[in-house]
Amino acid sequence: MASSQHVLLSPAELAYLHASLNLTPPIRPDGRSPTQFRPLVAETGILPGTNGSARICFADGTEAIVGVKAEVERTRTRHDFPSLDEGTEDDDDLDDNQNDVIKGDNDWVEMTVEIPGYRDDDAGTVFLSVMLSEALLADGEFTKRLWINQRFHWKLYLDILLISPPLSYPLPLLSLTTHLALLAARLPRLKSEGDEDPLFDDDWAAAPYLYPRPSEKGSKATAPAPAARPPVTLLVMAVGNNIIFDPSKEELAVADVALAVSVGESSSTTTSTTSSKPTAMDIDTEETKGHNLRLLSVRTIDPPSRLTPPGIPNASNSAYGANAGVKDTEKKKQQQEQARTAESEAVEGVWKAPRGGAKTLVMATMVQKVLEKGGVADEVLDALDGVDLN
Amino acid sequence: MADRRRINGPVGTTNPPIYDDAPEKQSEGVKVTRSRPANVIRKMYLKTGVTPSASGSAYLEIESSGNGGSGLKLSCSVHGPRALPRSTPFSPHIILSTHVKFAPFATKQRRGYIRDPIERDLGTHLETALRGSIIADRWPKSGVDIIISIVEGEQDRETSKAQGIEAWDTMNALSGCITVASVALADAGIDCVDTVAGGVAALVQDAGNDAAPSIVVDPIPSEHEKVLAACCIAYLPTRQEVTNLWFKGDLPASDMDVYTQLIEKGIQASKSANRVLVDCLNETVG
Repeated sequence: MASSQHVLLSPAELAYLHASLNLTPPIRPDGRSPTQFRPLVAETGILPGTNGSARICFADGTEAIVGVKAEVERTRTRHDFPSLDEGTEDDDDLDDNQNDVIKGDNDWVEMTVEIPGYRDDDAGTVFLSVMLSEALLADGEFTKRLWINQRFHWKLYLDILLISPPLSYPLPLLSLTTHLALLAARLPRLKSEGDEDPLFDDDWAAAPYLYPRPSEKGSKATAPAPAARPPVTLLVMAVGNNIIFDPSKEELAVADVALAVSVGESSSTTTSTTSSKPTAMDIDTEETKGHNLRLLSVRTIDPPSRLTPPGIPNASNSAYGANAGVKDTEKKKQQQEQARTAESEAVEGVWKAPRGGAKTLVMATMVQKVLEKGGVADEVLDALDGVDLN
Repeated sequence: MADRRRINGPVGTTNPPIYDDAPEKQSEGVKVTRSRPANVIRKMYLKTGVTPSASGSAYLEIESSGNGGSGLKLSCSVHGPRALPRSTPFSPHIILSTHVKFAPFATKQRRGYIRDPIERDLGTHLETALRGSIIADRWPKSGVDIIISIVEGEQDRETSKAQGIEAWDTMNALSGCITVASVALADAGIDCVDTVAGGVAALVQDAGNDAAPSIVVDPIPSEHEKVLAACCIAYLPTRQEVTNLWFKGDLPASDMDVYTQLIEKGIQASKSANRVLVDCLNETVG
């Protein structure tokens, strides 16, 4: 699908692009530095009918909207949870016991991706949605947030719409929009207790966030999970030994290897601040500067470069130069042999679709560049902090 | 294309049967733990030419765990290379289409005839893994279909109740798919830069000792208390290149060493599988 979309570039253009990205430092067509992202416009809370929503518009004109909807659903009782049969009725300290049995199910989250022009069961669309939900569910903590009581849970529907045609591989756009929508998502405050049928507070202003803010002390205390933020999936590609972030469509067309790296963040602040016992929240925010990153998933993405048309070196081009119009069979045989070597050997300045895979070292460096302190993931999360969530 | 004329059985309305004897057995403490060394993969059986009508085919069977469960059984057929239909636009390369399907009876939870997202996802991974190994520009304007049916999934009769295990099983299924498809491609005589094989490694926490988690090769999720992270790797041994990498789990960014080790172990598993693969192909030729 989107990743293997045909790019209308000639072999000569591809060769030029590849060569310029292979320089040290690489020269990108739009003049960005290797780790620089395209500028974007983001806003949240645009859809009043949802529990949380966000919209992001990239400078190249691609735009995505994500809406989060939650429904109360009855939990299907499973025979294999011994904890359910034992019962908690006799216990006075009901709350303690409940915290022990909070259990999530991956079925509680349903994610759909829609990309204009593609069927929803298209392999690429499915790949995108599986990748995004895999990152979200990787630590097993997210679904615990949807637990209401032993009989009921929230069912969360995440609908991701790309509303512009896919001009570039939409993975980073969709991931960032989902991230913001989840950050802005709120669930009604629960009024009932224990295993009663759930009853919720009418006051939307009192609804707690799905991902509690560090500044909200009350909700933080009851928050069950350590993952403080939803995951972010970044697209990274490599040309030669150069590692390039947020590639545009043209850059991706000459990539040797492309990876989607999902990164989450767990709240380190709870452990680190207890010792110093700070009174002000300012200290709290300062400490979060060094994000406590976690690697959640890495996937290779089939680079569209493998589908690009190859160029023909002059040596083997029978319609060019001295070879043009040669009739001699002896010479033709020679040409064929030359062509065979040209097929296996790279010729300077002539584009050839990459063959084989990627060196492990390059792949490891790509992941490391994302995760290192002060690396790209840190930067992206910091930038997302700047988005107003109300 | 969804097949609407077929009458499917009910979807997801029944619970899988649970046998009474399981809890007793567990309380006795006979839960099967890993008996292989940490860096040895399970035995596998590989055979080419099982489907005479296809241009290439292979069958792979992986030894089952000792828990009365079933091992992985895969059959792959390759049709092509053949000319593309007239309506498709020009392609300078061979067009791969991969199809991975669990048989409806392959897993405990019945699968429908229509491919679900997991199967489509496996198909995409497989395509990525194979496209790196095929020399695609030798067949312009042609296509090849790679069809894998998983006859029996890896399932433990007793521990399948435990949640979340299926997610890890797909990794093992993918590595099997890569290996079997690579053999079938070779059997079909399609030029490749190297034979690609799949390998899985996982970071696991064992039940007994609460010591540091360890890395094992070719894990059976039910044999371990908890799987923290796993990766599936498609590796080209002579070129020393990775064509597909799929990592999943939860690792703190501070210990990148663990990640690197996991990848290395995955490559090691892939190399072991590759040895079986090469032997099988030699047998076919000889």
